[in-house]
Amino acid sequence: MRRSPASSNAPARSRTEMRQKVRTALGSLLQVVLAAGVGLAIGAIMMNATGYDWKEALQALWLGSFGDLWGFADTLAEATPLILTGLTFALSFRAGYFNIGAQGQMIIGALVAVAIGSSLAAPKPIGMIVVILAAAAAGALWAMPASLLRVTRGVHEVITTIMFNWIATYLARYLVFNVLNDPRSAERTVRVLPEVRMGTIIAGADATWALFVSVFIALFFYWLLWHSPWGFEMRIAGLNREALRYAGGSPTWGVHMTFLLAGVAAGVAGATQIIGRPPTFALYGDLSNLGQLGFDGIAVALVGRNHPIGIIFAAIFFGALSTGARTMQIMAGVPLDLIRVVHGVVIMAMAAPETWSILRRYIASRVPARASAAAASRAER
Amino acid sequence: MLVGVLIVALLAMSVSAAAQSAAIVFDVGGRGDLSFNDMGALGGERAARELGVRIREVESATTADFLPNLRALARTRSYDVIIGIGFLLQDAIQQVAQEFPNQKFALMDGLADAPNVLSINFADHEGSALMGVLAAITALEYGYDTVGIVLGIEIPILLRFEIGYRAGIKWAVDRYNEIHGTNKSLRVLHVYTGAFDDPARGKTAAEAMLAQGAGVIYGVAGATGLGVFEAVEQYARARGLEVGPPFAIGVDSAQDYIAPGFIPVSMMKRVDNGVYTAIKRAVEGTFEGGVLEMTLAMDGVSASTLEDNLAMFEEAIAAGKKTPAERDAAIAGIQRARAAVPQLAWDLMAELEQLIKSGEFVVPVALDAQTAEFYRQQLQ
Repeated sequence: MRRSPASSNAPARSRTEMRQKVRTALGSLLQVVLAAGVGLAIGAIMMNATGYDWKEALQALWLGSFGDLWGFADTLAEATPLILTGLTFALSFRAGYFNIGAQGQMIIGALVAVAIGSSLAAPKPIGMIVVILAAAAAGALWAMPASLLRVTRGVHEVITTIMFNWIATYLARYLVFNVLNDPRSAERTVRVLPEVRMGTIIAGADATWALFVSVFIALFFYWLLWHSPWGFEMRIAGLNREALRYAGGSPTWGVHMTFLLAGVAAGVAGATQIIGRPPTFALYGDLSNLGQLGFDGIAVALVGRNHPIGIIFAAIFFGALSTGARTMQIMAGVPLDLIRVVHGVVIMAMAAPETWSILRRYIASRVPARASAAAASRAER
Repeated sequence: MLVGVLIVALLAMSVSAAAQSAAIVFDVGGRGDLSFNDMGALGGERAARELGVRIREVESATTADFLPNLRALARTRSYDVIIGIGFLLQDAIQQVAQEFPNQKFALMDGLADAPNVLSINFADHEGSALMGVLAAITALEYGYDTVGIVLGIEIPILLRFEIGYRAGIKWAVDRYNEIHGTNKSLRVLHVYTGAFDDPARGKTAAEAMLAQGAGVIYGVAGATGLGVFEAVEQYARARGLEVGPPFAIGVDSAQDYIAPGFIPVSMMKRVDNGVYTAIKRAVEGTFEGGVLEMTLAMDGVSASTLEDNLAMFEEAIAAGKKTPAERDAAIAGIQRARAAVPQLAWDLMAELEQLIKSGEFVVPVALDAQTAEFYRQQLQ
């Protein structure tokens, strides 16, 4: 069982498989581009109807997010945490779970980053690495109760992860104002020390080296899922838990592993917002520099087809939308509320195909005869 | 050579004459918060009206947006001044001011240390002293022996509110005894709830004060203050009252409409005047970096009026958060509350306002716990 399926392939079969893979990838890409076009068109109609110049607005969206090096770097800065929270959802989803606890795990990661980053005066790279590892461990620990309850008591992870999101939120508020607070600035925690702050990639924009940490973790998850025996087991668990049990795999082990790794990604996402996002390098009391990044990750994962590489591109797309939001305000004068509506439409259009395929799969799994066929087509991807 | 200089000079003149504009970056509350951000927007609207300045408003979705928003505006090089609303933008303005040393910035209610930033603060201790007068006289006239103040986190700026309020109470009690030939005194209760966003804590603190016989409670705690209003209204309504006392006093913007009948006045931080002043200085060429404290005399703070509440309601109706029917009900309630406050309270408030404006009465300032404790003893 613990053998990668790739290793058994004959070269000829691998070539057809390759062609098949390219075809599905191109098909998905076409779907995504079409969906984005539909979404943007509806958005343009809405802006036009409310009296704003849609051409100017869309131009501003493009120029602001990809038009120059600074804009592109800001886009990447926005994408950095989204890649990670997207991975949190996607990894669990591949293994058959709806883990929506990225928000809470991210908050805990950010808290730990503040706590350690503000007190650990280690030389430059070591301090950063310690903070990231600690945040990763904290995120993973925060995800554990969900998987433990799932395995031992059968409590559904949607319930537990939502509850743990709230516990994390209120715990963070308490700690920010009462333990980690900056006595001169009530609105936020103490800052992390300069030694653990991540440097910007280009001057005058927000992207820091945290981006590479995100991309590295995404590539690692890709390798894990498709090129390692553990990932194979996870995916089989996601497709058919009975099959995994029959083949001698351990579903219990898989659950814990999945939740732990998903928690790692979310925890690091929290850390990137603290040590990798200028200029404050602290956590605001209303947690507003974390925003809804954990939940946005779900949309990113859906747009990125729950595939680590797809998620990188989806996150960049989401980053472009938020970076473009400021140029849409500055250049075209569109108010933020309307921009958010337009974003919502675009994101819904783009997430629709994956949501539909999930739904179809769910329906298929209710009809036993069709389940194996659906699972087989799913494994091809 | 000479011709070149002339052309450049002419170009420069025509550019500065043609496009006078300012940008306002809001904090995450955004437009329609009926508080800080909307007050700032009102200032921008006034500048557009009176000075003919083009205003560009930029909202921030998260706190991480402040820096890129400010940078994107500064990069256009087309704004005479870029204004940040609220202390949350402090770090971002500090940073961007260093990156763009030739761009003028202004920060409302915060402190950024850079030569091209005008940090505008508001003399909230002076405004709080006026609230102290209204609280004290109202309590005395209705036979209460206690007033209170519920605050957020114990930070320097809030100590300033507390001691200013106490100074106003002390002045008012002395003045009251002088007028009536009595020897009355008031007990002042204060609570630091430790939170700006927890109405439940504000409610608990206010309930405790009401139980100890407080007649008026000043809420200085952001959203925590909403709990203060709720406690006062519930306490009064449970006794069949349609109007106070007990009363609550609002803060920052005209909050009188929140509990109609039970909030006769609010201490307004005039962010609108701050924004207007920054823009005016920038377009008139008198802009200089540094700290500007907008005092009572400069209309930096004021006691809310009925008109202020109406203006706030117009913003709320425009934002779709209130209806005209709600406005009429709220205005009626505010009028009831204002009528229930003894005329002497309004008169003495106006009297102290004049004394502060003319410099005859200086409201003490406390910015650390030790000084605050000293004044608590002094102002008994």
